[in-house]
Amino acid sequence: MQNTTGYPQCRIVPMRMLSPDTTKRLLEKVVTVPGIRRILLNGQNLPLTIPYGPARGAKNPHSMRKTIKVADSDIDLHVQVGTITLEIEDRSVTEKIRAICNEFFVDFSCYVQEGRFMKSEPSLVDYAKYGPRADKAMIGLVDPKRKERPSVIRFSKDQVCGWEI
Amino acid sequence: MKHTPQYGPGTSVVAENRRHQMDPGHKLTTLRHITENDIVLLLGHHALGARYPNVHPPLAEQQEPDCPMRKLVKPTEGAKNGDRVRYIQFADSMFNAPSQPYQRTYAEMYRFRAIDPGTLSGRQIVECRERDLEQYCRLLLETEMFDPALVSLRGATVHGHSLRLCENGMMFDALQRCILDNDGMVKYVKDQIGLPLDKPVSVGKPLDNDWLKKHSTIFHSLVGTPLRDDPEYIEYLQRIHTLRTKYGFLPTEVQKP
Repeated sequence: MQNTTGYPQCRIVPMRMLSPDTTKRLLEKVVTVPGIRRILLNGQNLPLTIPYGPARGAKNPHSMRKTIKVADSDIDLHVQVGTITLEIEDRSVTEKIRAICNEFFVDFSCYVQEGRFMKSEPSLVDYAKYGPRADKAMIGLVDPKRKERPSVIRFSKDQVCGWEI
Repeated sequence: MKHTPQYGPGTSVVAENRRHQMDPGHKLTTLRHITENDIVLLLGHHALGARYPNVHPPLAEQQEPDCPMRKLVKPTEGAKNGDRVRYIQFADSMFNAPSQPYQRTYAEMYRFRAIDPGTLSGRQIVECRERDLEQYCRLLLETEMFDPALVSLRGATVHGHSLRLCENGMMFDALQRCILDNDGMVKYVKDQIGLPLDKPVSVGKPLDNDWLKKHSTIFHSLVGTPLRDDPEYIEYLQRIHTLRTKYGFLPTEVQKP
């Protein structure tokens, strides 16, 4: 069991919600930075079927719901990405991320925040879903109600960004 | 002396725009043309070319009771024909959309007859007879009250008002009812409840940021006109706040004018 408590976190907040292509281009730059433990993509849910109203249950084709490929790993985007939270080894990584973002975002601005944005200790819901011996590396990465598992991004043989399955 | 309504307080451009939308004597600028058929498609209430279903016989065929109010209030076309009550619902982005939910309700109450608006923080629905609705939609969609990117028809799954915009400047829509096409036009590919349309319905090009800032009806300290720039509006809000607090707590505190 890995202990994730105590690692610093930072969050990329662009002024616009990102398209899958932009998310892919940004992530390709971000994952090259050494010292990133976990990445969480947050945003508005893009449901597969229409959730409410007279058309409830009908298919909901949406161009922002895509599978993107980052460092040879497939990531199914279920959301339109609004923020990207990173758990990092130490705070010096934040400055590298900030430098990448300042260079990357040209058409609109973006800021990088430091703080605690991702769950690092199991909650009661996590206990109910995963039990007392839950892998803490998984806590906070996925909604406990979901069946999907997190993606693993392997940038090189030596470096793994994400959760080891 | 003839009473001249003020419609609203304020000296800022936002206050002026609010008054323009509310004043039925002010002609709103038409910025685009949407055909009747396209409006029927967007609303999705009945099939193209189909007759309007009705819920009661036309009033002319009914025995109307002898009622002074019925003589005084003339029925709308929809009511005369016994149309069903149907709706249109809008979500307006807080990033300088030309109209906003509360503003819509005020404007519609001044301009339209026989309507039943429902106002929420991020969306506004208006219900009325089907035939009347299609006429009212013309004003709501073709004039300066509508912007293709920042105002959206959303019968259900309305989330988007308070969210950041998408990269292309469109308001977020979980159902992606409209898209910004390569030719720069916004096209609806689904009707307001999210069912796919047989052919896309174009609603024109998104308006530019300068125009939106000049025609917005929402105060926004970052991208638009801050409320602090309009002391008259603040004075009005503070007066309302003070009076309602005092009336609720100790009405005797309120001095009569």
